[in-house]
Amino acid sequence: MANSPEEVAKHVKTYLKVGAALLFLTAVTVWLSYVDFGTHSRNMAIGLTVATFKTSLVVLIFMHMNHERPLIYKFMLFSMLLLGVMFTLFVFVHDDGLIMRGYQAVFGKH
Amino acid sequence: MEIPYTVTARPDTGLWNAKIGVWLFLASEVMLFGGLFSSYIFLRLGADYFWPIHELNVKMGCFNTAVLIGSSVTIVMAWAGVKMRNYKMYFWNLLITILCAFLFLTVKFFEYKSKIEHYGVVLKDGTILLGHQPEEGYRYKFNADSVTLNFKEADPPYFMRFATKPAGEHGGAHDEHGSAPAEILPIETVKFKTESGKETTLAPADFQALKSEAKAAKKDSLKLTPVQPLAFHAKPSKLASHSEKSLAFLDGTLIEGKLVSDKMELHVDVIDTRAAPDADKSMAWAIFKDAGWKKAFDESREEHLKKFNETHPGQDPMKSDHYLREALRFEVHGETPAAHEAKHKEGVGFFDDMPWAEHHYPTVEIEGKDIQRWSNFLPKWNTYYAIYFTITGLHGAHVLAGALVMLYFLVFNSRWFKTDPEHLANRVETGGLFWHFVDLVWIFLFPLLYLL
Repeated sequence: MANSPEEVAKHVKTYLKVGAALLFLTAVTVWLSYVDFGTHSRNMAIGLTVATFKTSLVVLIFMHMNHERPLIYKFMLFSMLLLGVMFTLFVFVHDDGLIMRGYQAVFGKH
Repeated sequence: MEIPYTVTARPDTGLWNAKIGVWLFLASEVMLFGGLFSSYIFLRLGADYFWPIHELNVKMGCFNTAVLIGSSVTIVMAWAGVKMRNYKMYFWNLLITILCAFLFLTVKFFEYKSKIEHYGVVLKDGTILLGHQPEEGYRYKFNADSVTLNFKEADPPYFMRFATKPAGEHGGAHDEHGSAPAEILPIETVKFKTESGKETTLAPADFQALKSEAKAAKKDSLKLTPVQPLAFHAKPSKLASHSEKSLAFLDGTLIEGKLVSDKMELHVDVIDTRAAPDADKSMAWAIFKDAGWKKAFDESREEHLKKFNETHPGQDPMKSDHYLREALRFEVHGETPAAHEAKHKEGVGFFDDMPWAEHHYPTVEIEGKDIQRWSNFLPKWNTYYAIYFTITGLHGAHVLAGALVMLYFLVFNSRWFKTDPEHLANRVETGGLFWHFVDLVWIFLFPLLYLL
């Protein structure tokens, strides 16, 4: 772990660079959202990929998850698994017609 | 009692205790926000309206993102400052982090305020007009012949006291700042006659006397006739029902007379025809008296269609969300079509959508019968605003909590810099971990709510 003053001092530059990268990527996200990629799902996929990359920078560098004790990875792995379940729950309502109903209400039946 | 393992690692976990604590807490926070993001997915998939994209103020959202990212850098620098035994670096970075938190909340306050003051009106054909209401808001204007008190309520009639106006104030006299609402008449000063011809008022003492009289006569209600002509400007949300001949307030007070007008006045800034069956026949064009607006809309639609056909040859524009949003959701940039055209040519200024920018929009009057529903942009408007306020409200509460914790460290723990710097470093690291989490939630919220 980065505990000695010398090691911490070495990291200071990295923190500033990551901060700059995050700001730059924010601007990129905004710009990409105005580009028409054909379907909105593509915009969603691209935008969320950039956001995921940004959060990994925060988690790995700022929250020091690139060099953490195993116990913390175990907590977070468990948490991430449950998160994955929550984010895929919607597939179970597909048969319920929720997605199609919303689509037809907006675009009509064609 | 000394709390163990605040500085050194506990042998079995390899970590100091607070670190395990904060990570466990963050794991539960992931679940909390995860549940809300999951709701977002469901609400978005189930939405039967056009999901708002770029409808929130992107510049303010972007600014707030930068503020949070900046504060994420400063909090980690504050921690590094303690580790490197550099007090100035610690102090200033922690202070800047706290200031950033309050700056974020201030910007959020103005964003919320602009949503509370902005209205959407769904017309009967699905067309949506967006805009601001004049100072007084939407009111049914009514001339009163009689007021029937309901004695089941304990207190003197409550809602009518905010709606009583002198008669003859319906005229719709507007000055250049919009309409000038007539002063509300204090209800105690209005004179009424009872059925027996006795003169009275609705001041608390008189009301109690009327109530005891009615009680003695075993009556639940009492009809009063105003001595001088009287009008009411009633807020629809305070009415239980209304018709051409009566208004019933929520507290049971019944006003009989004649409905003069139930027209809503709106300073329109967006005409959204996407949900109307045919944009050319939208009800909006009858509401806008100036035919120039339809022409401006047509021109803008043509322009977008041309652009679409150039960039997406052979594709059906009506199937592109992007095209529909650009072409059928018409943003108004001036008080008259000519002013709009001029503004369109010179280009919309970068800060024109900021709260401090001055705007001039066309004012229209919408008949009550043409309105399907209306509301300001609060959770009741649609599920998008429901999830927007829920998640950003919870996130804002986290920002406030983080700021208070860091302020506590700054004020009460800074002296540890000399006596117990490693303990202070661990405190700042714990607070910092929470702060980074708040930042990364926002990194997802910003694109999901503002951009995509």
